Amino acid sequence: MKMLRGVFDKIEPNFEKGGKYEKYFALYEAVESFFYSPKTVSTVAPHARSYTDMKRIMIYVFLATMPCLFFGMWNTGHGANVALAALGEEAHTGWRIGLMQWLGFGLNPDNILSSMFHGFLWFLPIYVVTMVVGLFWEILFAVIRGHEVNEGFFVTSILYVLIVPASTPLWQVALGISFGVVIGKEVFGGTGKNFLNPALVARAFLYFAYPAQMSGDSVWTPVDGFSGATALGITAANGVEGLAEYDISFWSAFWGNMQGSFGETSVVMCMIGLAFLLVTKIANWRLVAGCVAGTVVFATLLNIIGSDTNPMFSMPFWWHMVLGGWAFGLAFMVTEPVTASHTNVGRFWYGALIGFMVVMIRVINPAFPEGMMLAILFANIFAPLIDWFVVRANISRRAKRNA
Amino acid sequence: MAQTRRTYLVDPLVDNNPITLQVLGICSALAVTSSLQVSFVMALAVTFVTAFASMFISMLRNHIPGSIRIIVQMVIIASLVILVDQILKAYLFEISKTLSVFVGLIITNCIVMGRAEAFAMKNPPIDSFIDGVGNGLGYGLILMLVGFVRELFGSGTLFGITVLPTVNNGGWYVPNGMLLLPPSAFFIIGLIIWAFRTWKPEQVEEREFRIQEAEAH
Amino acid sequence: MPEPDDTQGFLARWKALPVDSVPKTIFVAAALCLFCSMVVAFAAVNLRPTQEANKLKDKQLNILQVAGLYEEGIDIPEAFAAFEPQVVNLETGTFTEEVDAANFDDRAAASDPGLSRPLDDDPAGIGRQSRFKTVYLLRDDAGDLDKIILPIHGYGLWSTLYGFIALESNGNDIFGLQFYEHAETPGLGAEVDNPRWKAMWPGKALRDENGELKITVAKGVPSSGMEQFHVDALAGATLTSVGVDNLVRFWMGENGFAPFLENLKAGDV
Repeated sequence: MKMLRGVFDKIEPNFEKGGKYEKYFALYEAVESFFYSPKTVSTVAPHARSYTDMKRIMIYVFLATMPCLFFGMWNTGHGANVALAALGEEAHTGWRIGLMQWLGFGLNPDNILSSMFHGFLWFLPIYVVTMVVGLFWEILFAVIRGHEVNEGFFVTSILYVLIVPASTPLWQVALGISFGVVIGKEVFGGTGKNFLNPALVARAFLYFAYPAQMSGDSVWTPVDGFSGATALGITAANGVEGLAEYDISFWSAFWGNMQGSFGETSVVMCMIGLAFLLVTKIANWRLVAGCVAGTVVFATLLNIIGSDTNPMFSMPFWWHMVLGGWAFGLAFMVTEPVTASHTNVGRFWYGALIGFMVVMIRVINPAFPEGMMLAILFANIFAPLIDWFVVRANISRRAKRNA
Repeated sequence: MAQTRRTYLVDPLVDNNPITLQVLGICSALAVTSSLQVSFVMALAVTFVTAFASMFISMLRNHIPGSIRIIVQMVIIASLVILVDQILKAYLFEISKTLSVFVGLIITNCIVMGRAEAFAMKNPPIDSFIDGVGNGLGYGLILMLVGFVRELFGSGTLFGITVLPTVNNGGWYVPNGMLLLPPSAFFIIGLIIWAFRTWKPEQVEEREFRIQEAEAH
Repeated sequence: MPEPDDTQGFLARWKALPVDSVPKTIFVAAALCLFCSMVVAFAAVNLRPTQEANKLKDKQLNILQVAGLYEEGIDIPEAFAAFEPQVVNLETGTFTEEVDAANFDDRAAASDPGLSRPLDDDPAGIGRQSRFKTVYLLRDDAGDLDKIILPIHGYGLWSTLYGFIALESNGNDIFGLQFYEHAETPGLGAEVDNPRWKAMWPGKALRDENGELKITVAKGVPSSGMEQFHVDALAGATLTSVGVDNLVRFWMGENGFAPFLENLKAGDV
């Protein structure tokens, strides 16, 4: 490691002000701070001391997504293997299947390794494209604007990959992350200044731009000719009772072996991630509590109102929580500190707004059976307003007390 | 004089564009720009209305009582808009179907009212007419830019002629559905503003406040 | 302001009034309103015949298109003369003289309490249904019935779709389907206008040999024997497809044109 430090020290002057590669300081800094903690220290007051810096926060969030990631690989591979077994030999096309068989993994849905590896082969290209394209934009903006390449992108990229369908064409993956990074973050000045979650902006872009590849029945399991609706799609048509026909019970939905975006299907894995974030105090519990409360109250209210024509009205809150992106969104998007409200009271309301909106969109809007993505983006926009009201209320209360 | 008239005409195209700098007339810019043909007709209609409304209002400017001047302006603008609407329905029926309510909504297009109130009430008729044409063209320019992007990438066509054959019609291009939805114009107008301001940095407003730089060593 | 002098005439006194005085304000307002209303009225009255002709032509164009008779550049009113408009009483399934076919407005009739009825069973989502509908019959050179054009409408995802369905002379085989007005999602539901999707309709049949209404718009591969009645749903537009399915089945069913089509088959009309 001494040698590495030496290399950095030797080349550093080139990148500093006045050096040969001054423009590319951002690049140098990104690589250097990947290996060593930054040398910069603050010298003027105020000083805040904490064990968590941005880098550690980002690494923790990244770690927290790991259960979802590994489960997602298995779920995607398992679903694909089951579909391939059902469709027979003629469906066995594509380089992944060739590679699987050549390596001797086979296509056995009961073999965990075979399923994992098959899922990995779907995950890898999407992740590589996301990283290459996303980092290209990050570095471009860092160089032009003279700020540093931020670790936030690693979190954005993994979240983005986990919320797209495994069969998304790679050029769409590239377009989506470009839109997310540039429009969702960089135009506002980069990490920490964005008011929308970049991963969700990217996902929403794809959802509205290429709905045929982002929704429907044939996109979730990456096997041509296989069609399987998402649980929410089934519920929208047939109600919760209709799920039994597709062998989806509450507990199977809870564990997450079903159709859905890459890493969002398993509630258990999301909860492990969430617990980790709560324990490390990166996620604020008020956000989580607000969101849960909003969902429970509004779903129950709709249960009571009822509807003859819309089976979604009768969907109880515990089903809302295990289907679609609810759990994933709660664990990794609602708790995201930059785009949420920043006051403690505001955080309750922010969470509650998401809980309310997700049920609202799922039940009442006929076009969008999934609502978590839109609900969070909607609440992102309202977060500063919520804070404003909280601050105003605080000011007027103190004014009264001291009057 | 000729120099100022030239400015009246050219200034609103980029330097003082009604959409990108004054951020007026956004609603119709979102609604009608999914195809170039419709954008084009809308741009013409707005240019016509702005130019003539400005001219007529300027002709009457010394006789318009201050207490009812907004209403007088509205009546003149509304009459012109109805005229345009009627003519479109009679001679360009297909396009008038697509434009539908948006022709009527030119009445509320802030550009028309804005020019009437800000310019025509204080300047002679010919100058006002030229100013109206200039602002109409500035509006039209942005409309056409937005329409170009939205039609080309949203439907794979330009003025209805196939440029990128789409998958649904047996081609290779997967059209971007978001561009067919009105909100996409927000992004495109935003990017155009970004481009204009990079090109002409004097358009960037003063910052309201500046975050103090941290001192780091 | 100087006191108006009695020796001056009315005109002079008027001129001396400031622009903001009440009489002048009222005068400007009145004069402007009068002038503008005259311009607008003049334009409206003079252009109305052209506009009406456009509307009619548009409707005729759609009927010609669905009947497969439209070619670029033909004279629309002339080509349309081949059609015989008839108003059908939906309940009895017979032509009616109660309303005049030339002036009957289907869409206005649907909200006229005297001409329409509320629907209890309303899969097409239209609320009220006109008791009368204008149909267009196309006869061949020998005077035999060639095609039947029926107006249909119903709710999709965001909007009511209005269109025509063209049937062969047997009243069971579909010749074509076309919507002329809707506001479905561009690129998804709006693909009902896509010629490739519309091309799936010709050759399909409404009913099987037993007279059971079988036509469906659905996803996926039809079960064997159903191919003749199956139109593939629009990709990514579930609710628009369901809407089209409902409205076609509704208008071809007992509350729609079924009595008329039966009479037609039996030769009773």
